[in-house]
Amino acid sequence: MKRILSVILAALLLTVHCLAIGEETADLETIVTIVTAPEQTKAERPPCFPDPTADFVPLPETENLALNKTVISGAHTDVYVDRNVNDGKTDTYWESKGFPAEITFDLAGEYSVSTVAVCLNPSSIWEPRTQEIAVQVSLDGEHFTEVAAPEKYQFDAATGNRIRIDFDAAQAAWVKVVFTLNSSSRTGGAQAAEICIYE
Amino acid sequence: MKKGMPLLTACLLILLAVLPSAGAAQTQPTRLTLYEGPKTMRSSADARVSVNGYDLFVYDVMVNHEHIWNANTQPVTTPMTYFDFEGTARIRVEMPGLPQAVESAVVQPYACGITPEVEGGAVTFTITEPGQYTVVFNGSVNKALHLFANPLETDVPDPDDPNVFWIGPGEWTMDAIALTDNQTLYLSGGAVLHSIISIANASNVRICGRGLIDGSDYPAWNQPGSYARVPIDVNHSKNVTVEGIGIVNANCWNFNSYSSRNVTVDNVKIISGRQNGDGFTLQSCTDHVIANSFARTWDDSLVIKNYSGSTKGITFRNMQVWTDLAQSMEIGYETDKGLTLDPEISDVLFEDITVLYNFHKPVLSIHNSDDAYVHDIVYRNITVENAFMQGDNGNNKELIEMTLQNSAWSTVRDEFGSIDRVLIDGLTVIHTLEDKVPRSRMSGVGEENRITNVTLRNVSILGKPITTLKDLKLSTDEYCDGIVIE
Repeated sequence: MKRILSVILAALLLTVHCLAIGEETADLETIVTIVTAPEQTKAERPPCFPDPTADFVPLPETENLALNKTVISGAHTDVYVDRNVNDGKTDTYWESKGFPAEITFDLAGEYSVSTVAVCLNPSSIWEPRTQEIAVQVSLDGEHFTEVAAPEKYQFDAATGNRIRIDFDAAQAAWVKVVFTLNSSSRTGGAQAAEICIYE
Repeated sequence: MKKGMPLLTACLLILLAVLPSAGAAQTQPTRLTLYEGPKTMRSSADARVSVNGYDLFVYDVMVNHEHIWNANTQPVTTPMTYFDFEGTARIRVEMPGLPQAVESAVVQPYACGITPEVEGGAVTFTITEPGQYTVVFNGSVNKALHLFANPLETDVPDPDDPNVFWIGPGEWTMDAIALTDNQTLYLSGGAVLHSIISIANASNVRICGRGLIDGSDYPAWNQPGSYARVPIDVNHSKNVTVEGIGIVNANCWNFNSYSSRNVTVDNVKIISGRQNGDGFTLQSCTDHVIANSFARTWDDSLVIKNYSGSTKGITFRNMQVWTDLAQSMEIGYETDKGLTLDPEISDVLFEDITVLYNFHKPVLSIHNSDDAYVHDIVYRNITVENAFMQGDNGNNKELIEMTLQNSAWSTVRDEFGSIDRVLIDGLTVIHTLEDKVPRSRMSGVGEENRITNVTLRNVSILGKPITTLKDLKLSTDEYCDGIVIE
């Protein structure tokens, strides 16, 4: 009797096993959704993020007199040295260690200047902030005259994270930019990716 | 006869119980969602993968088989693909990119119990549960296939909602995306986004979808002219959810959360082969749950540090980890980088973690390298499938390491902290180098700076229960108290 029962048991187990195998080998009924890709020839800007450059603060198209000129400043934070401020790149920046923070450009010649632009990285990950900035000029590098009094300027990625300070034209061989406030919670110093000086 | 009747009855009952479920599986159709790759990209030449007869787009993503730090390392690629499903998915894989035809294959995690068929160089197997699967061919991790079988999407945001940024399939690029309060970024399956996402000083932010954030456009962060571009960077934010997406080819850390709270990560897949490619790294965070996710990294995979304040209430649950460099589950080294008062790291849970491979440094590590009080740390149900720590010139090869020493990453050098109340409940190590039990190590630094009350239980290595500290090859110094194994 035990043998009969063993045979029945074996048959039952085989049946269950075959059902499982049959399930694996049968055509699987499948409902498919295929998410198709658009026609593209290169990576594009996502349409949900319109290009903001049209709203950027315009800068003069004349020569940037500060570019690659000698620059002098006080202490900086971490690796954010002052030579970053006129290297022509907005993905490097200068950050002072505290306030007030002065940064002075030797223009290597005398010019009539009327605009200073201060730029941060235009990326939207640089959240909006306010910096208080003044501009002074000098012909000898020692005696400076204020041409733009301290004023608070709003930096916002929506306008390129840059501001311009326009003032009455003044003769200058040296230009000093003085920062006295930065509202960003990430730093205790002034920040500038580029400072540009124009006639 | 009477004696045999109960047995026969039992068999009939088993059959009756099994039949309906088998029949139900056949009548319930499988639902598949497949995503075309961008038209600007080609599917991998190394791997061809199909599911239920439908071809999948396969991405080549950076990984790194160099298991020692090299500032100028050069990653290689491995195939990765994904789809969404519910039901039964029959996977077929061919690997034309391998130097030899496929003769054997293993599907990991081992616990999924899948034995693939290999015939004519093709590998086939069936899955019935969404999950993250890795297929290793011919006994080598070279060109291992990562297959992410997602659940079908739910709770897809409304593209017409003004607070939703909807990125569809295709290849996209922009410098950076900053998300602010109450905003959602949806990254569709089939999308490849070359950008970084910043969530700073924001609350109620969500990132979801099935698409990829791809850092391959940027050189490694430490190369001339480059800088760190963290794909997802959460900073001083709260109530943030990240779900479903993949992060590949990052040029530095992958997912970073800093001084944030109430952050949830679900089903996020990270594959990284470049310098300092840490996986999920949390600094000075509170109340984070990182779950159902995957990290293959070329630096620490699951990381907790203190950069500015204390850490409390962190859970890593149901994670898969493959660590090509450094540690799999690392607390430290920085535990007080921000020089804060009374820094702590506490209430941390690593639960249901499967380490597919750990090639370099310890699997479980607490390196209290500053002066923090690290306490109430629980590791529960940890499976290490391949503990292959080669270390650095003979050092750092431990399975478990807890230390209070100074290190290259110390900020506080003249004071030390302590480690107290650590529970390791369920640690299974399946394979090791040369089939030997790896060493483990705990060391304090002084009478006031000790490692205390560490309990290990349910530890098994190479199939054998480990019930003594000697069998665990655990070394302790005079500044360790209450280290017990049950």
